[in-house]
Amino acid sequence: MAEKSVGSSILKGLIKLSLILGLGFLALHFLKGALPAPTEDGYRAFPVLGSRVWVWIIAQLHLNFAAFVLGVPIFAVSMEFVGWKKSDERLDRIAYDFTKLFTLAYTVTAIMGSVLLVSLPLFYPKFIDHMMKILGPTWWAYIAIMYGEVIVCYYYYYSWKKMKDKKGAHVFLGLLLNVFGTVLLLATSAWVGYMTTPGGVSPDGNLINRWQAIKTYMWIPLSLHRLVANVVFGAGIAAAYAAFRFITAEKDEERAYYDWMGYTSAMISIGFSLILPGVGYLLGVEIYSFNEQMGIQLMGGFFAWLWVMQAILIGAILFFVNYYLWISLNKMPGGERYFKYVKYLFIVVLLGYVVWLTPHSVALSLGEARKMGAYHPALGNLGVMAAKNTAVVISYLATFLSYSIFRISNKEPQVSWAKAGHKTRAAIIIMSTVAVLALGVYSYMVPAAVRVKVLSPIQFGIFFISLIVLYVLDSRMYKGAKIIGEPKWGKMPERSQYALIAITVTFTWLMGMMGYMRAGGRQHWHVYGIMKDTSPGAYLPTHGAALVIVSIITIIFFLLIGLLFWSIMRLEKASEAKGKR
Amino acid sequence: MKSGVLKLSIIVIGLSLFFTYIGVYFLPQSESHPPKVIKIEEGITQDELLKLGEEIVFGKGECMVCHVMKTEPGMRSPAISTIGGDMEKEAKQRGITPEEHLFESLVNPSAYVGKGFDDMMPPLHESPTSLTEGELVAVAAFLQSKGGKVTAAYPESGPALKAQIQKAGGK
Ligand code: HEC
Repeated sequence: MAEKSVGSSILKGLIKLSLILGLGFLALHFLKGALPAPTEDGYRAFPVLGSRVWVWIIAQLHLNFAAFVLGVPIFAVSMEFVGWKKSDERLDRIAYDFTKLFTLAYTVTAIMGSVLLVSLPLFYPKFIDHMMKILGPTWWAYIAIMYGEVIVCYYYYYSWKKMKDKKGAHVFLGLLLNVFGTVLLLATSAWVGYMTTPGGVSPDGNLINRWQAIKTYMWIPLSLHRLVANVVFGAGIAAAYAAFRFITAEKDEERAYYDWMGYTSAMISIGFSLILPGVGYLLGVEIYSFNEQMGIQLMGGFFAWLWVMQAILIGAILFFVNYYLWISLNKMPGGERYFKYVKYLFIVVLLGYVVWLTPHSVALSLGEARKMGAYHPALGNLGVMAAKNTAVVISYLATFLSYSIFRISNKEPQVSWAKAGHKTRAAIIIMSTVAVLALGVYSYMVPAAVRVKVLSPIQFGIFFISLIVLYVLDSRMYKGAKIIGEPKWGKMPERSQYALIAITVTFTWLMGMMGYMRAGGRQHWHVYGIMKDTSPGAYLPTHGAALVIVSIITIIFFLLIGLLFWSIMRLEKASEAKGKR
Repeated sequence: MKSGVLKLSIIVIGLSLFFTYIGVYFLPQSESHPPKVIKIEEGITQDELLKLGEEIVFGKGECMVCHVMKTEPGMRSPAISTIGGDMEKEAKQRGITPEEHLFESLVNPSAYVGKGFDDMMPPLHESPTSLTEGELVAVAAFLQSKGGKVTAAYPESGPALKAQIQKAGGK
């Protein structure tokens, strides 16, 4: 593939993008004329599914792909840079493979975007008119930047081999790609931000100040949250790709490479996910400052139980990660020495999970509970958070331990204070666990405000400090350590790869659910407090119904991702065959 | 290769089904519908007014998102079960009529913030709550019935309410 000229590849990419967009605009124009006029209050109905479900599915699929193509370049270029500085061929190869993934994913992303571009004005004409009136210029800028992004992306990918000796310039291209990507992300976040926490308009929806309409409460925190989540998600998909290649690999050397790629991607994903609660907290604070009512509705009202569901999903992800790391011990010479600890870690993670799953029997809505004169018996006022934060922190700690055990399992420390070091590590682990637990129990006895504003941050603080201390301790202790043997990459049972896939599936599902919550937080508004949703789909469905849709989206997404992986393999085979001839 | 793909599909579909199962069988299932238009006729009886007020407070007004029913430690908004009586006392302290105080707290809540609470109560006549004049009077009557004397009536209380809205700087 790399043999093709860079210029013609870029040209092809531009033509493809223009075709997809052009077809979209044409279809929109044609359908607008062909379909009956919208209803008086500005809607057309999508057949059978209803407009709401249709747009929901398409928008989430588009967002999943967009998250992937925006998230992966961030760590692809980072790895290229490190590989260049350390002259590490393997890092360069993985960066190249990451780049191949997102470059080829552009087409699906654009197609989904184009379907959305047709659907929204067709089924929600009045709402889109309003959005264009308020934020129209950002939309045209968005398209222009998308072209820039595609040019740089294709340049970056197709020039990889050619610019081998001009790495500096090539890394710069990768950086530029990320700049474009971030601007795209800022544009889309501005739209969602305006819909959720509008500003810059009069109460009846007339534009007063466009910059205010862009720079809403939610804009920056949402963008940050998405940026980090995109890396987590993109790395997750990359791990799933590696797992797929591992399972279908025919040669040992391929298996070794994809095993390593899966491990690396999964660790990037989990590592970045550590920041998410912090950014999420920021986002929550901004929503509260925009409108307390929306904040409470999201955190403790109608959506309260979906936070329990979120905890169940995070728990499942950590569970799969731990499982994966424990199997990984098998390929580390010396790893067997640590099996006995894994048993305890397993119990801790399991206990954490049980705490998450406990409040499942009381099925009261917040309103009903308050009417009876009480806070929700199980949830309280943001009540899940106390148990949840404690369990999250402890399970994350256990996961971090699994990770450090994996890293040191094939080494023997040589420093004189190794024994004391091991004891210190055990002490830190026990102390921080006890402290987190104690705070968790104590937080049941204080008002919610103290719990949320003081105790939870302290818990997370303890967690991060122990992580850093443990990390520093290990790197000191294992400096110049005797290596018992190199990791036997590729010597992994197949089930380990299924754990990797399970992580990504769960994360995709989680993302679908959180997307629903973010959109549902507006309740019966297109633009909160400014423009009412009077369509038949204005109500919030039951959690069950909503989550069925989330599942459907997840399954379609993986079908498409499967096709993408498969087409990459076919392309590789084709170029290999060409090379032989 | 084929069996690998099959197993992968099983994971994708199996996990999705498992999570859906939790969502359908373990979570409470209720829908949240947009508020209905409530019609209030002039000369409505006090009983009917109270009933409508209750419906709004527990329904479309979404008051219970913040307010609690009974006084309890750590509450972030005043308790409803005694609010009528409590507000009569406050009105006396402020030297204004109970109705003035009540209507002000509904449409211009920042003007007087109860002790120990944050100023986060939304003006109810404005978006997103957007209660109508009749609805606000009904809410006021219901709140008064919680430990106080019910004086609010429709349309008689209209001018007093409008005066407060005007003071709030609204239309
Ligand atoms: C976003 C949270 C929130 C919502 C929603 C809310 N309130 Fe309030 N309310 C408060 C807070 C906080 C106070 C106390 C501070 C103040 O007096 O402004 C308060 C005070 C009041 C008071 C004055 C009490 C006093 O003793 O002075 C009344 C009356 C009242 N609310 C009625 C309502 C009604 C009726 C609704 C629903 C239509 C409602 N509130 C919705 C938060 C809320």
